[in-house]
Amino acid sequence: MSNPLALIGRIATYLLLTVAAFVSVFPFLWMVIGATNLSADIIRGKVTPGGALLQNISVFFSSVDMPRILFNSFLIAGLGTALTLLVSSLAGYGFEMFRSKVREKIFAGLLLMLSIPFAALMIPLFIMMANFKMINTYQAILLPTVASIFIIFYFRQATKAFPHELRDAARIDGLKEWQIFLYVYMPVMRSTYAAATIIVFMANWNNYLWPLIVLQTNEMKTLTLVVAGLTSAYTPDFGVIMVGAIFATLPTLIIFFLLQRRFVEGMLGAVK
Amino acid sequence: MSGLKLRNVKKSFGAVDVIKGVDLDIEDKQFVVFVGPSGCGKSTLLRMIAGLEQISSGDLFIGDKRMNDIDPAHRGIAMVFQSYALYPHMTVRENMGFALKFAGRPKDEIARRVDEAARILELGKLLDRKPGQLSGGQRQRVAIGRAIVRHPDVFLFDEPLSNLDAELRVHMRIEIARLHKELNTTIIYVTHDQVEAMTLADKIVVLRDGIIEQAGSPLELYDDPNNLFVAGFIGSPKMNLLTGTVEAGGIRLADFPNDLIPSPIAIPAGTAVTVGIRPEHFDPTGTAALDTSVEIIEHLGGETYAYARGTGSNLLTIATDNNRTLKTGDRYQARFNPASLLVFGRDGKRLR
Ligand SMILES: Nc1ncnc2c1ncn2[C@@H]1O[C@H](COP(=O)(O)OP(=O)(O)O)[C@@H](O)[C@H]1O
Ligand SMILES: [Mg+2]
Repeated sequence: MSNPLALIGRIATYLLLTVAAFVSVFPFLWMVIGATNLSADIIRGKVTPGGALLQNISVFFSSVDMPRILFNSFLIAGLGTALTLLVSSLAGYGFEMFRSKVREKIFAGLLLMLSIPFAALMIPLFIMMANFKMINTYQAILLPTVASIFIIFYFRQATKAFPHELRDAARIDGLKEWQIFLYVYMPVMRSTYAAATIIVFMANWNNYLWPLIVLQTNEMKTLTLVVAGLTSAYTPDFGVIMVGAIFATLPTLIIFFLLQRRFVEGMLGAVK
Repeated sequence: MSGLKLRNVKKSFGAVDVIKGVDLDIEDKQFVVFVGPSGCGKSTLLRMIAGLEQISSGDLFIGDKRMNDIDPAHRGIAMVFQSYALYPHMTVRENMGFALKFAGRPKDEIARRVDEAARILELGKLLDRKPGQLSGGQRQRVAIGRAIVRHPDVFLFDEPLSNLDAELRVHMRIEIARLHKELNTTIIYVTHDQVEAMTLADKIVVLRDGIIEQAGSPLELYDDPNNLFVAGFIGSPKMNLLTGTVEAGGIRLADFPNDLIPSPIAIPAGTAVTVGIRPEHFDPTGTAALDTSVEIIEHLGGETYAYARGTGSNLLTIATDNNRTLKTGDRYQARFNPASLLVFGRDGKRLR
């Protein structure tokens, strides 16, 4: 550290990172502290831990049918993630591994569809689901998301690093195409799957607008919908809302920490 | 029992013809090397034999069976890839046993065959490692081991040594030659390195642009090339190729207007030719000579090469019979025997 310029640069870097860390961690901290305070204290701007945690939790559980809601949320996020990964990675594998004249045209068409905002699709999609008599069902949530263009794109990019010779070797070893996918491609691409799991699980877990529209009875609702619903009460109880928010955040946090290392590898596109 | 026959085999990718009609006979237990410049279709031809590429037209027989439409796994072949293509998520043992496991062989048979291959290749200590923990040479041996375990009738190698450093390459080359003796099976081996081809092959197949330029034993190709391409491709250092015209008393080379060299064969005067002479065929006791000036000297210890020229700009490579006193700038009479010359027509075909 003899060079003063380098020292200043280092200090600046640390300052910047500290600010960024604060900005990203503060809401989380505030949520946790809020869960321990009474609504009135939170409105007053109290930022120190209080003693109302147990009270908030018991109010939350008495106003929400947690087992049922958690079941809905986990079913939709879990099954949705599994289906999305399967369908979209199959598509990504296909797009990258098989040559065809129309391949790039179809792919470009898919990417173009990314630019259509969901708001524009919402009403036709709703009418479609209504025609299929699927309003207020899990299928209505799952079906529109399983073929995720973004995840297909992500898998196609990642598959560029998957050696074609590995597929050739597997063919000589007697594997059929689906077996190559299952026994060679999937294990080799596990970092990519991990990263995609986090992305898709979070998106499904936090999905709000579409479930709000198609899930119409209370026993079908997801945690995200229920927590959001708490704020629309006549006098919202912010302490209880914070408890709900913690429950709503916990699963994505856990998944992220479990898959963190693989997530980073996956984002770097590591095929090892 | 497992020779191969290729009959007018062709391959096109869309409108591009890559293999343009190959006829080839490979005998049982022969070590055949496909050699040729990069992009000439060696890998494609090998992959067609393996069943990884569809054959556009023509027939492929392995043994007596037409294999055009048979699955790669049922052709009795095993392949070693340039990138090794080991399954990164499996141990060495699992990699080697994978095909057998898939074919539903009993566990003890798999273990026995894996151990046998491990013994042949001295892989015993590595069996429980993953490919990521192995060096390039070790991965190469595992890839060969995976092929051996399947007991194939025909081994296919696609540039297996090109990712190794020079020293290891020589070592593995000898290893593969030993393996051929020990396993006693047919091997088809692709390389762009003519030294590998010369040292390993019973039969070399020289490919260019999707056709066979010449096929034969290494020494046949070296001594008796059919055309300019093979003459220039086989042999290291490369054969000297000089253009000239036939006159009444011999051949006049463009770069040596003052030397009329005797022609080894009878050719009508006026014919435009290319004359080939190998660096090692220059011989201080020869009866004919070219008057050259030396530009560069290379002392290898056992041999001294002179790079020298006549009036033109082409450098001749000359083995000087280890002339250690030769210096840059010297005049040098490059002597040779006319019988060692090869003469080619302007179309590249050998004149005999
Ligand atoms: N799948 C393919 N689609 C289109 N062209 C190909 C394909 N595979 C190979 N080629 C072309 O065929 C030619 C021969 O390729 P290859 O057999 O790999 O050459 P080599 O192994 O002799 O270097 C090359 O020009 C290559 O671009
Ligand atoms: Mg090749």
